[in-house]
Amino acid sequence: MNEEKKSINEDIKNLVIARLDVMPSNYKLSIGNEGTFTKRELIEHVMAEDNIGNQIVKMQFNFIKALTTGKFIQTLNQNE
Amino acid sequence: MNKILLVTRPKYDNGTEYLSVYASEILKEAKKSNISVKDFEEKEVNKENIEKYLASKNPKLLFLNGHGNECEICGHKDKIIFSLTNVNLLKNRITYARACFSASVLGCEAVKSNNGCFIGYNYPFSFWIDDKWSATPIRDKTASLYLMPSNEIVLSLLKGKTTKEADNISRKMMIKNMKKILAMEQKNEPGATGMLQILWDNYDGQVVLGNKDASF
Repeated sequence: MNEEKKSINEDIKNLVIARLDVMPSNYKLSIGNEGTFTKRELIEHVMAEDNIGNQIVKMQFNFIKALTTGKFIQTLNQNE
Repeated sequence: MNKILLVTRPKYDNGTEYLSVYASEILKEAKKSNISVKDFEEKEVNKENIEKYLASKNPKLLFLNGHGNECEICGHKDKIIFSLTNVNLLKNRITYARACFSASVLGCEAVKSNNGCFIGYNYPFSFWIDDKWSATPIRDKTASLYLMPSNEIVLSLLKGKTTKEADNISRKMMIKNMKKILAMEQKNEPGATGMLQILWDNYDGQVVLGNKDASF
């Protein structure tokens, strides 16, 4: 069970890192009072699994949830 | 309660610099519409100044920019301007807090047993910055995708829309921007998905608490 959980976390972590890695290098993410970060810094935080890294993973997870539940598509379509 | 817009614009890091510049667009619009405005900028954004102004002028609409957490909204250099100890000062007013997590506890307390409204976020308010434009944030088309829809909340309130309508107008702009980003993704522009997920988080985290029919 723990192995499975660990593996899922690793998969999500890798997905988040892959998504960050394709961001243009001149882009920075401002995350409220946590600060403003380059993609390299964001990747380091995700790898370190610290507060900022976990926050980034949460954001990614929230988006994946919206995609898989259909909430994202419903939201886009409601405006048409 | 007086028809005055109070704006807080701390400015001491990248994030607050962008918030401040985009909030200044609201000041221009308010001026055009002859709406009374009190703008607290940088060092002026402290608890003493804000509390004093609220007591003396009693403004109806508050547009708070800055860092925050579940229980606090900050002014200059992270000094707290609103917390659970003075949240009563937000009662019966319309507050839009462009600050992380501001709605989750403080916002709920602000609208308890009164006719006011609090618009804020249950998640962090985040945005991508294109560093090429960091010296002129208003020309940063990437940051605009996130900050213009949030500006739309206050612009709509200034035009007399209700808080619910203002939220809807802002949401529509966010959806429009999400579609713009999706079109970028279809053209294989790098980073589109990363941009989209942050805008989705702002969309999903934005909430209107209390009186949804309140207007300025």
